[in-house]
Amino acid sequence: MSDWIIILIKIICALVWFLVIALYLTWVERKESAVIQDRIGANRANIWKFRVIGLFQPFADAIKMLFKEDFTPRFSRKFLHNLAPFVSFFFVAITVSAIPFGDVLRIGGREIKLQIVDFNVSLLFVMAMLSLGIYGIILAGWSSNNRYTLLGGMRGAAQLISYEVALGLSLIGLIMVYPSLKLSAIVHYQGELLWGWIPKWGVFLQPLGLLIFFFAALAETKRVPFDLPEGENEIVGFFTEYSGLKWGLFMFTDFMEVLIIACLLTTLFFGGWQVPWLYADGFHFPWGGQWLLPHGIVVAFQVLAFNLKVFFFCWLQVLIRWTYPRFRYDQVMDLGWKLLVPLSLINIAGTAILLSLLG
Amino acid sequence: MAKIYIDERELEVAEGTTILKAAESAGLQIPHLCYHKAFIPEGSCRMCLVEIEGLPKLELACSTQVRDGMKITTTSESVVEARKGVLECLLAEHPIDCPICDKAGECKLQDYYDEYGLFDSEFDENKEKRQKRIEIGKNLLHDQERCVLCRRCVRFLGEVTKTHELGVFQRGVRAEVSIYDGILVDNNYSGNLAEICPVGAITDKDFRFKARTWFLQSRESICPLCSRGCNIYVESHQGFSRFSLPKRVYRIRTRENQMINGFWICDKGRYDYAYLDQERLDEIRMRNSQGSVTWPEITSHIAGEIGRLYHMKRAAHIGLILQTWLTNEEFFLLDKIFRNDVNIDKISFLDPAEEASDDFLLTSERTPNKRGAKELGFDLQPADWKKFFEDVDLLFVFASPIQDGLDVGPLKEALEKIDTKILFATHNHEINSSFDIVLPMSLIAEKGGSLTNIVGSVQNFSPALDAPGECRPAWQFFIELAKKLAINFDFYNQFSSMDDVREMMKKENPFFREVH
Amino acid sequence: MIKALGNFIAIIKGSLLTTRHFMVNMWFHTLKLLRIKTKRKGAVTIQYPEEKREIASRHRSLHRLLKRDDGKPRCVACMLCVTVCPSECIFVEATEDPDPEIQKSPSSFIIDLSRCCFCGFCVEACPEDAIRMDTGQIEFAEYTRDRLIYDLEKLTE
Ligand code: SF4
Ligand code: SF4
Ligand code: SF4
Ligand code: SF4
Ligand code: FES
Repeated sequence: MSDWIIILIKIICALVWFLVIALYLTWVERKESAVIQDRIGANRANIWKFRVIGLFQPFADAIKMLFKEDFTPRFSRKFLHNLAPFVSFFFVAITVSAIPFGDVLRIGGREIKLQIVDFNVSLLFVMAMLSLGIYGIILAGWSSNNRYTLLGGMRGAAQLISYEVALGLSLIGLIMVYPSLKLSAIVHYQGELLWGWIPKWGVFLQPLGLLIFFFAALAETKRVPFDLPEGENEIVGFFTEYSGLKWGLFMFTDFMEVLIIACLLTTLFFGGWQVPWLYADGFHFPWGGQWLLPHGIVVAFQVLAFNLKVFFFCWLQVLIRWTYPRFRYDQVMDLGWKLLVPLSLINIAGTAILLSLLG
Repeated sequence: MAKIYIDERELEVAEGTTILKAAESAGLQIPHLCYHKAFIPEGSCRMCLVEIEGLPKLELACSTQVRDGMKITTTSESVVEARKGVLECLLAEHPIDCPICDKAGECKLQDYYDEYGLFDSEFDENKEKRQKRIEIGKNLLHDQERCVLCRRCVRFLGEVTKTHELGVFQRGVRAEVSIYDGILVDNNYSGNLAEICPVGAITDKDFRFKARTWFLQSRESICPLCSRGCNIYVESHQGFSRFSLPKRVYRIRTRENQMINGFWICDKGRYDYAYLDQERLDEIRMRNSQGSVTWPEITSHIAGEIGRLYHMKRAAHIGLILQTWLTNEEFFLLDKIFRNDVNIDKISFLDPAEEASDDFLLTSERTPNKRGAKELGFDLQPADWKKFFEDVDLLFVFASPIQDGLDVGPLKEALEKIDTKILFATHNHEINSSFDIVLPMSLIAEKGGSLTNIVGSVQNFSPALDAPGECRPAWQFFIELAKKLAINFDFYNQFSSMDDVREMMKKENPFFREVH
Repeated sequence: MIKALGNFIAIIKGSLLTTRHFMVNMWFHTLKLLRIKTKRKGAVTIQYPEEKREIASRHRSLHRLLKRDDGKPRCVACMLCVTVCPSECIFVEATEDPDPEIQKSPSSFIIDLSRCCFCGFCVEACPEDAIRMDTGQIEFAEYTRDRLIYDLEKLTE
């Protein structure tokens, strides 16, 4: 019984974390782009004249979206049209269940894993759910019953499937290095040290894998410079026939994807919740010193570390989105099939050779 | 014949022509203010100076007659200089209040300054103050500051109307055009004064401040208000994209035609144009019909009515009341369809009563085409109405655009007994409600065709205005009707435009072969 | 290969550029938040309704019709502005003025500001200096179009 309550609390906490951060990513996006472009950015939304650097903007956006006319075209396939954004949303939202936010928390003799469920193939699960997101796009494009949205959906599907391959392949090397498909195990492996002082983070063991994964993941988010499925202001794309809240869901899903990608990058390549040289009882520095900490503080450190890493990657993705112009479609395909896929194969081979050489 | 050279161009002109006329015949423009084709040259403005080889001074082109071998220059330095000088003197006492001058845009002084002047004024003195709004006629105002003393107005009243209401008083700088003892210019041609005044000194009360001339679209037409057939320009304003105007026509101007009206039109033709815009009927009205009826529908309906009677051999029960506002072509079609094909003999005319004529242009007939109807074999005598209305089942009436002139008395009671009554009307009128079907017709100014004037001149004309709403020219309806009637389909099927009808009319009726 | 490398370097350079902008601007934003005064600001934006830019002396703003000493409009309804207006948004109706020295004056003068493109041609064209666009008023947005139709009264205010 209490297990269930704990799970429920975990689900609620994780989802709230996830949704709130994703919501504020919209604010980050506005503000960060503004700062990059010497502007100020949205700062007008206020509650009783309190503006607080525009922090209420996401709520204003949400309210606006709620009250916008939700227009369903007469010619669309109504049910599927309504379903599509939720499909997109759902498959992204569910991935959060596999993300480890920290190690175990011990309260009153109970061990609580800071992860909703820790199943054996959580990496595969995450990849699978991310791939299913394509259905939302295809559905949206097709059920709108407009040839341009259909084309947009097809473009989206082609792009996502192409990068799915590189994305998957780039992780093979990683799985070779950390022999597990369990995200929590992978994070644990990354707590070990290389030559006694470098944390065994994915970024050090799989630099090429990281690069491929990062590019492929960027393409998966369908954002600039990979926003070919739908360029809001000029390319007619898959959610053209959506408005109001449902349109908002598509946009929101994009931000959730950004967040999930940041989580995965952190978990797979940057040690997840690991802080270098921090062990269950405190810091043990390679040069000999140590700083012992109570359990609660250690867990707090872990969760904080995870969050900081995630925020950094969110920031980085937004920076990238506001730096580059859109690729041409052939360039996107070239990059995916002619560069990333071969590179990831090379990465697998290289990793295999190195591993066998090192025994 | 004399051979002369103007600006190196060799011209062959009749002996006794003036230089200005000779130049104009060759398409060369010589600026002139006081000279007007209608009058004997007077030589008072000195705008028309030209250089003649062998003569020490510049000469007036308007009043110097050509001599064989004369060599004339209109562009030499001294001529240009002289024109500038003349303009400068004219403008020295001119108010140049073009912004409030009705002539602006068609003012000769403006044009010439633009073309030959373009100097800066060197006069420091104040201009002479004169009266700017003197009533000199029932429709005319005079601005003494603007007057260039060309005496065109005086000559018009002396030579054309011979009424001599205006004269030039005082002399020198105080000279001014004025009326004698407060007796206003009040003749039936006074409107022409505003038009011949080369500047804005005489303005027309009717047109005063109504519109700027450059907004007006000038299209040719023929005045239909009497049977002289004076040539006119109908000047309409298209309105602005954001603001619509209450009317279309702002002015009627004369159009030169030496055969008919010379340079003039009468005041009736000039000022009585309100009928073009007021109370126009612009939609098909059909009693007991739901919604609107289209032309094809109504045409079929009428063709059906006629056809029914025709096939029942009851065509004698169809009556036709016409008026002579219809064109020759329309009478021709009427004759063909109703007299030839359907074989109706109940045809009568209901024209406005004749009014006083004057001994110049205005005739006593108040419709434009009596002669045309006569030439096409219609009898214009009004019928014995009692006999006419006996067992009429289907009646067509063509209403005169000038409703006040129409004597509807005989119609009113008779209409009640008739089964189907169809009116072709251009205006809203109380009698319209007595008819079952009222069809909106185009006016003369809105359609093309030809009219035969009182002395038998046939003049073609084309539309000067766009027909409002659903209005249609009668001839178009007649052709459609005849095609639907299908009594003589092949004949009418040849007609698709006005010209086709006109050609056929000319072929069949020798009178119209010659455009007089 | 070399070209690909060059592209890669260009890509990196691009993100370094935006990162630099971000960092520098963020630095000044932070200073401002800490109420440390600096000459440079983190953004070039003018915060419009609160901060206003000075209007240039040659600006064109809301039209006005000038008045004579006795309060009547100076306009003589010559319709030159109507003629020149490229948006066809001026409408003038003339009437006879009781004063024979003035003769012509506008009985109605309408500018449809919802169409006006603020080219200023009307001002240039006016021979009487009766219309000017120097009110400095640039904020006259309305919720309905008909309130943007200014008549004689509104224009002479
Ligand atoms: S007559 Fe009228 S339009 Fe002509 S120059 Fe004088 S003020 Fe101007
Ligand atoms: S009023 Fe006109 S036509 Fe008569 S003299 Fe003066 S300028 Fe000539
Ligand atoms: S500013 Fe230009 S567009 Fe506006 S009213 Fe004047 S002329 Fe017309
Ligand atoms: S141009 Fe000047 S005087 Fe003429 S109508 Fe316009 S505002 Fe009035
Ligand atoms: S036109 Fe010859 S003097 Fe006036």
